[in-house]
Amino acid sequence: MINHQLALIKRELWEHRSIWITPVVIAIIVTLSNLSALMLAGDFAQHLDAAIFGEQKLAGDSERKAVLTAFFVGSSGLFLFALAILTVFYALDSLYAERKDKSILFWRSLPVTDAEAVISKLATAIIVIPAIAIAAILATHLINLAMTSVWVSSKGGDAGFLIWGSVPLLDNWLAAIIVIYAVAVWMSPFLGWFMFVSAFTKRSPLLMAFMPLVLVPLLERIFLSSNPFGRAVWGRFASIPLFSGTDVQTFFDEGHVIDEEKVSLLAQIDLQKFLMSIDTWVGIVICSILIAGAVYVRRYRDES
Amino acid sequence: MSSLVRAEGVSKKFGSFIAVDNVSFEIESGKILGLIGPNGAGKTTLLKALLGLTDCEGQLSVMGLDPFRQRKKLMQNICFIADVAVLPRWIRVRQLLDYVEAIHPNFSRQRAEELLRQTKIMSTSKVKELSKGMVTQLHLSIIMAIDAKLLVLDEPTLGLDILFRKEFYANLLNDYFDEERTILVTTHQVEEIENLLTDIMFINEGKIILNSSMDSLADTYVEVAASGDDADKARGLGPIAENKMFGKSVMLFKGVNREHLQVYGELRTPSVADIFVAKVKGARK
Repeated sequence: MINHQLALIKRELWEHRSIWITPVVIAIIVTLSNLSALMLAGDFAQHLDAAIFGEQKLAGDSERKAVLTAFFVGSSGLFLFALAILTVFYALDSLYAERKDKSILFWRSLPVTDAEAVISKLATAIIVIPAIAIAAILATHLINLAMTSVWVSSKGGDAGFLIWGSVPLLDNWLAAIIVIYAVAVWMSPFLGWFMFVSAFTKRSPLLMAFMPLVLVPLLERIFLSSNPFGRAVWGRFASIPLFSGTDVQTFFDEGHVIDEEKVSLLAQIDLQKFLMSIDTWVGIVICSILIAGAVYVRRYRDES
Repeated sequence: MSSLVRAEGVSKKFGSFIAVDNVSFEIESGKILGLIGPNGAGKTTLLKALLGLTDCEGQLSVMGLDPFRQRKKLMQNICFIADVAVLPRWIRVRQLLDYVEAIHPNFSRQRAEELLRQTKIMSTSKVKELSKGMVTQLHLSIIMAIDAKLLVLDEPTLGLDILFRKEFYANLLNDYFDEERTILVTTHQVEEIENLLTDIMFINEGKIILNSSMDSLADTYVEVAASGDDADKARGLGPIAENKMFGKSVMLFKGVNREHLQVYGELRTPSVADIFVAKVKGARK
């Protein structure tokens, strides 16, 4: 069973190479832009950087920590955003492409059940793609912090203290891991919906998937006074119950004092709130129903 | 011999259209059975039911399993080529072997690689880089490396040129077939495979109109080419089909003694295609 899943997931990565190419490309872009910033920075920027990181220590600890944290959040967000878009297209393609090129007849000629096949695609979207994103984020952070350390050292700064000692690395990475998987679980009803559409539609899964998501809220607005579906669907993006207290906005506000505890991104996360939220579980149930629907369609539809 | 496939009153309807109509038959192991029928006769539907790809009414068991409900178990002992174009175009040959090796308990990678070495297919090639004939060779190499009791081939050589078609069947017979195995094949080009079949089944409009071994087919059916009075006398014996050829009447008889017929003209063993045409036309009358 597990060996089957591994082979099936490997198969997904062969077919959808963008799953690992995209994070590699983003990592390269982030690294190159950071490198060029360090190498080619003008006088003013050099002074600014030196002020923040350099030996003069003109700026305080909190500014340096804020800059490093901004780099953490910004670069992680970039991966999260790209991988989210990638996952949408992956899910829409996952059960459609094999029918379009008729390779489904070959896949089904092997001793693999439809449930196993669909679950491997779900696992790819909800476990493997986030895992690859996390690996890419960690690698990008390490490479870029190392590069910046070399630069700081060349300016006479103590990289060990100024860079590596400034932010709680492990905490922040753990935070990134939690956020990414929590977002994956939180958005799983959409994943289930996209895979279900991918399994049943005869053409254009993208259109078929988004049409009801746009049309139904529109009709709600026209014919009803309220729009429960529209809010449930489009409101879900912003309503993840994962963060506690301080939001990112006040975190970077001028004059906001970062106390030692709050500089850790982990301290911003309230995992218990997420796990206790009824909305989280409703999402998981909806996803499960839609995935079961996708399995049913793959098994019972006659392709001829 | 034991029955590998047993069908009793199997039907499949699509709305009001009856694709397979109350069909009963058995396939014994160690046979090469040709399933012959015109387009839309229900061949593919029947095969899909056997392979567990579609549900059906009636009793159907393949190797003692319910194909639709026990498909995963069934697929460990059945191989099929549904159509030549089904290998995914994006996959590399090596990846394909990796995958099948991981998934299929009866797959011998060594055997597949041996078979592939006899072709021009490279393990680093992608399927989309291969010609249609090579894709079929690749598929067949994988299938032949699986130790399966039943091999189902649905139009396996469709769209291939004559050289590949001949080679395909030669490989199948020489490298694959033995007493332990059973092959079920459908094709339009029946003349190419009639020599390798042990048994034959005709299907038309969802019904089986003939189910016979090739040996008894040759005993049962005979053709006589007669002219003039002889032709009239022969006609009196009730041929199931008649054609004009080179001024002679070529008549097809079923179950008529050869000695009775040979006084009227030259006897011939009819081809499967001739019998098939006569049967289908007879069924329409």
